[in-house]
Amino acid sequence: MTVDNLNQTKYKEGFSTETDSVSLPPGLDESTIRNISAIKEEPEWLLEFRLKAFKRWQEMAEPDWSELNYDPIDYQALSYYSAPKSRDKDDIPQEIFDTFEKLGVPLHERDALLGIEKDPNVIPSVAIDAVFDSVSVATTFKAELEKYGIVFGSISEAIQSHPDLVKKYLGSVIPYTDNYFATLNSAVFTDGTFCYIPKGVRCPMELNTYFRINARNTGQFERTLIIADEDSYVSYLEGCTAPAYDENTLHAACVELVTLDNAEIKYSTVQNWYPGDENGVGGVLNFVTKRGLCKGESSKISWTQVETGSAVTWKYPSCILRGDNSVGEFYSVAVTKGKQMADTGTKMLHVGKNTKSTIVSKGISFGDSSNTYRGQVRIGKNAHNSRNYTQCDSLMLDNSKALTLPVVSQYNNSSIVEHEASAGKLSEEALFYLQSRGLDEENAVNLVVNGFCKDVFQKLPLEFAAEANQLLNVTLEGAVG
Amino acid sequence: MLVTQEFTVSVDDKPILEDINLDFGPGIHIIMGPNGVGKSSFAHALMGNPKYQTDGAVEFFGKDLLAMETHERSRAGLFMSFQTPTPIEGLSNFQFIKQCLDSKQGSPGITETLAKFKGLTDEFNLPNEWDKKHLNVQASGGEKKKNELIQMLMLNSECAILDEPDSGLDVDALQILTNVIQDFASNDKIVIIISHYESLIKNLNVDSVTVLGKDKTIRGDVDLAYQVLDEGFKNIV
Repeated sequence: MTVDNLNQTKYKEGFSTETDSVSLPPGLDESTIRNISAIKEEPEWLLEFRLKAFKRWQEMAEPDWSELNYDPIDYQALSYYSAPKSRDKDDIPQEIFDTFEKLGVPLHERDALLGIEKDPNVIPSVAIDAVFDSVSVATTFKAELEKYGIVFGSISEAIQSHPDLVKKYLGSVIPYTDNYFATLNSAVFTDGTFCYIPKGVRCPMELNTYFRINARNTGQFERTLIIADEDSYVSYLEGCTAPAYDENTLHAACVELVTLDNAEIKYSTVQNWYPGDENGVGGVLNFVTKRGLCKGESSKISWTQVETGSAVTWKYPSCILRGDNSVGEFYSVAVTKGKQMADTGTKMLHVGKNTKSTIVSKGISFGDSSNTYRGQVRIGKNAHNSRNYTQCDSLMLDNSKALTLPVVSQYNNSSIVEHEASAGKLSEEALFYLQSRGLDEENAVNLVVNGFCKDVFQKLPLEFAAEANQLLNVTLEGAVG
Repeated sequence: MLVTQEFTVSVDDKPILEDINLDFGPGIHIIMGPNGVGKSSFAHALMGNPKYQTDGAVEFFGKDLLAMETHERSRAGLFMSFQTPTPIEGLSNFQFIKQCLDSKQGSPGITETLAKFKGLTDEFNLPNEWDKKHLNVQASGGEKKKNELIQMLMLNSECAILDEPDSGLDVDALQILTNVIQDFASNDKIVIIISHYESLIKNLNVDSVTVLGKDKTIRGDVDLAYQVLDEGFKNIV
């Protein structure tokens, strides 16, 4: 069996869009930050937050502890702001509309456009915030959500409309001093999603942000902040794609989640940034800090991620389980192929009593790629009767590498930590067995890999499970030759 | 018809079987032979297991079998039951068989397929909800053998090579097995069984018996099988 043609897989989201845009010239200094803040007409406190972060960032060194190898990033060669010329949300340039349409992300509230009278009892299943390079270009069903008191839209708008909420929570989970990439993000973030679910509200639809990088040599630094007030629930999904450029594109996002008493946030990601070509040229460098704080008692944060894209992925969605009885979950499928490198995992920090966490990580690697699971479970001294269950499985093909690096630190005796791990090559025997029943090699690989990921896919919202499955199959297309 | 001509099977360039000339028409054929002589290798090589290199020629209903990929051999009507089928996590028995059928032309609808599948799992006394269980995961040896036969029946292959289908089966299951094989063969199918079990052989209408030996291959009728069962392989091959 030869399994070397995976790289020829077409990345169907690799097109770029011609649109008039406003960009800052490449380069990063204090004036860049003042410029971003001025363009966005931000309040003084936010400019101060950015400047403090920038000062700090200049004193920091890029981390080198991961299993990732990439050429040094020239931060002065990047542009830190690019946005379509028209900033009027009622006048989105047609080509941007078309871009999202082509990506399967509908920005029309279709019924309204078609002149169909809406049945007030029927609630649409998904609301979308679309981010194009540095700005949010459209948010659907905003009015519908406002009826429930839900705030959903771009963080730039929220800074103007709900400054107190943003000021209270921004940087409360990921401080501006946190790490090199988060600190950079704090200094230069341009847009992202803000979401607030009020007390006692169960969000009636899935909230979805779709991030699209389009401009060349532009960093994307989005900032997402989701707050679930007491007794509330929200399911949120993000999707991401980028054109196939020869140069690397830097993406350094921050996502902060906060749940108060009895609240739950279910956060799902389907990450499909451009992975670069078969020789490892181009692709997105994805350095992301995602962290949730279970601030209230009996609250829950669940991360589910399907990672198939990016040349380099550095990402550890984590939970701080501060409230007693709070629950953290991390379900992950990471697929790497060609020359892709992924170093991903989670941290579960148990602070409160009776806190529970579950980690299920599935790594699949093809070609010359490398796929590392890096995890930390910390049970603090007051986290009595806490539990963690971790399961890490890897499946390898060809010359790929898989590495599992779990760290457990336990500071009290009443808690239980369990860990299971498996690593295996996709066996020729299994493929032969499936092929002997009439399935071609590609189909056989798909079935084995899909089966391997099933536990995680089942955690995705229904609409997106199918999409993730599809994406996985496209990713595996031509995996066998 | 399945016809082998000077069929040679090797692993890592070491020949296991050399110059095998055999033909199999509709009916039931038994293959016997001492341990390690290459009976399973014969089956696997015919099915196209990449572990084996082959030489010579194999004609399958007028087609050049050795030129085909494994999945093409299956689609051309060849089936092989495995002694120890591989477990596949996360893939249900029914999802698997449906996918296999869908890969062929003119596959029936899901309702019809599921009804047929459930009918068979009942007939074989497999646990309820067998359709949802994962393929060969946490299944007993006997259950796996039954599952292999169900796949044979669902795919309705023209020619089935059954590699020790009787090992690990209890008396009742053995009875079901003989009935199924006899019934299957009566539809003009070719059934090639690798087995040493008297109870299976005596309950089937056997058309030919082949004894594979180190240096020679003997073909005979069912009496050859009884001779082997009485005297062992020593005086025969």
